Amino acid sequence: VTGPQARRRAPSRRQLLAGAGAVGAGAAAGGLAGYFTGAGAAASGDGDLGSQTIAFHGAHQAGIATPAQDRLAFGALNVAPGAGRADLRDLLREWTAAAARMTAGELVGEVSSAYAPPADTGEAVGSPVSRLTITLGYGPSLFDGRFGLAGRKPAALEPLPPLPNENLDPDFTGGDLCLQACSDDPLVAFHAVRNLARLGMGVVEHHWMELGFGRTSTTTTGQATPRNLLGFKDGTRNIRAEQAGLMNDYVWVAGESDQPWLRGGSFLVARKIRIFVENWDRDYLRDQQHVIGRAKVSGAPLSGGTEFTAPDFTARSADGQPAIPADAHIRLASHERNGGTRILRRGYSFTDGIDPQAGTLLGGLFFIAFMKHPAQFIRLQQALAGDALNEYIHHTGSAVFACPPGVRPGQRWGDDLFG
Amino acid sequence: VNTHGDRAGRPNLRTGMTAVAALLAVAAAGCASSHKAAGSSGTARASTVTIDLTPQGCAPRPARIPAGQVTFNVTNKNAGAVSEAELRTSDLEHILGEQENLTPGLSGAFTLNVQPGRYTISCPGASRPHSTLTVAGKATGPSWQSNAQLSAAVTGYSRYVDQNAAGLVARTQTFCQAVSHGDMSQAKLLYPQARVYYERIEPVAEIWGTLDTQIDGRWENPVTVASQFTGFHKLEQLIWENNTLAGAPQLCAGLVAHEQQLLKLVQTAQYNPLEMASGATDLINEAATSKISGEEERYSNTDLPVFQANVQGAMEVVALLQPYLQQQDSSLLSLIQRRDASVTKALSAYRSVPGYDGTGFVEYSTVLDSQRQQLAAQVNALAEAMSQISARVGP
Repeated sequence: VTGPQARRRAPSRRQLLAGAGAVGAGAAAGGLAGYFTGAGAAASGDGDLGSQTIAFHGAHQAGIATPAQDRLAFGALNVAPGAGRADLRDLLREWTAAAARMTAGELVGEVSSAYAPPADTGEAVGSPVSRLTITLGYGPSLFDGRFGLAGRKPAALEPLPPLPNENLDPDFTGGDLCLQACSDDPLVAFHAVRNLARLGMGVVEHHWMELGFGRTSTTTTGQATPRNLLGFKDGTRNIRAEQAGLMNDYVWVAGESDQPWLRGGSFLVARKIRIFVENWDRDYLRDQQHVIGRAKVSGAPLSGGTEFTAPDFTARSADGQPAIPADAHIRLASHERNGGTRILRRGYSFTDGIDPQAGTLLGGLFFIAFMKHPAQFIRLQQALAGDALNEYIHHTGSAVFACPPGVRPGQRWGDDLFG
Repeated sequence: VNTHGDRAGRPNLRTGMTAVAALLAVAAAGCASSHKAAGSSGTARASTVTIDLTPQGCAPRPARIPAGQVTFNVTNKNAGAVSEAELRTSDLEHILGEQENLTPGLSGAFTLNVQPGRYTISCPGASRPHSTLTVAGKATGPSWQSNAQLSAAVTGYSRYVDQNAAGLVARTQTFCQAVSHGDMSQAKLLYPQARVYYERIEPVAEIWGTLDTQIDGRWENPVTVASQFTGFHKLEQLIWENNTLAGAPQLCAGLVAHEQQLLKLVQTAQYNPLEMASGATDLINEAATSKISGEEERYSNTDLPVFQANVQGAMEVVALLQPYLQQQDSSLLSLIQRRDASVTKALSAYRSVPGYDGTGFVEYSTVLDSQRQQLAAQVNALAEAMSQISARVGP
């Protein structure tokens, strides 16, 4: 399990600034001592989180069991038509080095010449590292034979079947690769995806990208439960990283996989879920609570107790009806109703601005979940066919990726996959 | 021509070009053939060499000069078979500077920084076409000038710009004849044929910002004021959107006049490898943005031929720098060449004979967003690689 570490100093930053000064940015003198200095942490109100780094290397990739950061930049990319196996392999190596640098608070590369475009795009210079993690995933289409990887395809890695309440936009569906960057600083997360995509230009192309603000899940016991755009607490019953048994049973791929290279990894399911927030906001409180199955303010289940009281799906209210209605979201999604099936949710709120036709807010939940097998999500989503919440939401984008295990120092992404 | 004044009033057409324009214009100001007192910035060691073109030859006077800024004043006294003088490396492999098109009675000049060594003054057609020029002393000026490959690339680029500027004037005149005759269908065919000459050398043309706006300005650039919307795109709007040639002949005459000014200016401009590289990247950026979006040729939908012209103009720079890059960074060179091949291949999907308005391509509005995205991805990959040239050729 990865955890916060003391921030590492990056003395090379000075060289960058010397270079920049030579070009003419004289203002660089004092304040911008580094890409990720701890200096901004106090001002940002994050306590000491701003200066914290999350180890890049480890048995598992960071960004899965890592306590959910506040911000997300998620890029889905396709391999360019002309690129081949060697190009992809080289790029994964290059990405590994760049991701290790950025998550340690270093620039992608130093300025070497006043006459070369700077190796790092530079917008995150001076921003605190803010627990940046970068998580790589491989989509089903990567194994279609273009790169000689057909034999390495995990049997479980297939595009999701048609599921209830979805109308998928191809522009937000699928992808050969994904890069999930999470940080407490939105600029730092965005910078990571931008620079990795830039390094890959000519080998990979953007397919779609989403920025998330406000985590919608709790993934460790120390975190307070956040709220989604429905205004409800989300992730109360999520798996916690500390629950090693549940992590092993439901999140980490192990010996059951047909592909040894994936063991220690996890499947990532991403769903872009539009929430028709205006409609939702017009619903009266009691009905909102019945749709979800919880009290809006406290988060307690309608069967009683406090937020963390286990819901009692057999409880009845005074009128004899189920306290948690039969079509309530938390009932249909519960592991009790789904053969014990659980997933690690790690989603974010998003907005794409305004719906050009309706003039309404275009936003909702960018759902991300990690699991041992995509069948877990499929089962849960099928169970939500009769979800009362479906009146207010619509799945508009979808993707599934196999995230390989973590890399050890000296190892690179793709070594096992291509090896 | 007050290029400084023009630049000061120049709206920022494309990010990144401003700096290049400033660099280029400084160079240009110091070498205009009509301005003998070249306003060169600082080198004390300016000298002058006189070359008279005669049927016998073109011996320089003096034949031995100190290294530094040298102005070559060339006069054709009476040589009907000779019309140019060239400064070449002693092996004759590379032309470092030249003055062309001098018929008897005409004179001209070129100025450049010459490094120590032996050179040849050549005048093809004379009975003794080669004479030796010896440059003594210590090296001065930017280091690229002492590199024969880079010097040759700069000279070659100068020639390329001149040729395209001349082609621009000629093709636009042909287009304007159709406009004057009220021949709408012919005007539609000839418009894109003239445009491509401009789009190959646009970064250079942008040095003279006002001229660029007058020739190539769009409605929103600079000021959305109807009286200042002239040039190609105003004509394009009349022809394709308004379906009229009313007022077009006058606009066309103005366009040609501006192009002739441009031609005159480029014939005396000097470039350097860094500006060439930066301009090449800018051309590809231009293809990737205003051509891909279709905004450049929004009325005519003839974006594909000018997209190709942008790429051609950039790849000409690569071709000229190829001998140098081959030695300095052959992997970068081959990356650029591979990516150029990918762009060519992607573009070939939209070729058509004779094509929309005779352009050899389909109408751009028929290219779907998803296809534009593919094209953009290829051309962006080329631009990314091309942006690495500057570090190889910079001072």
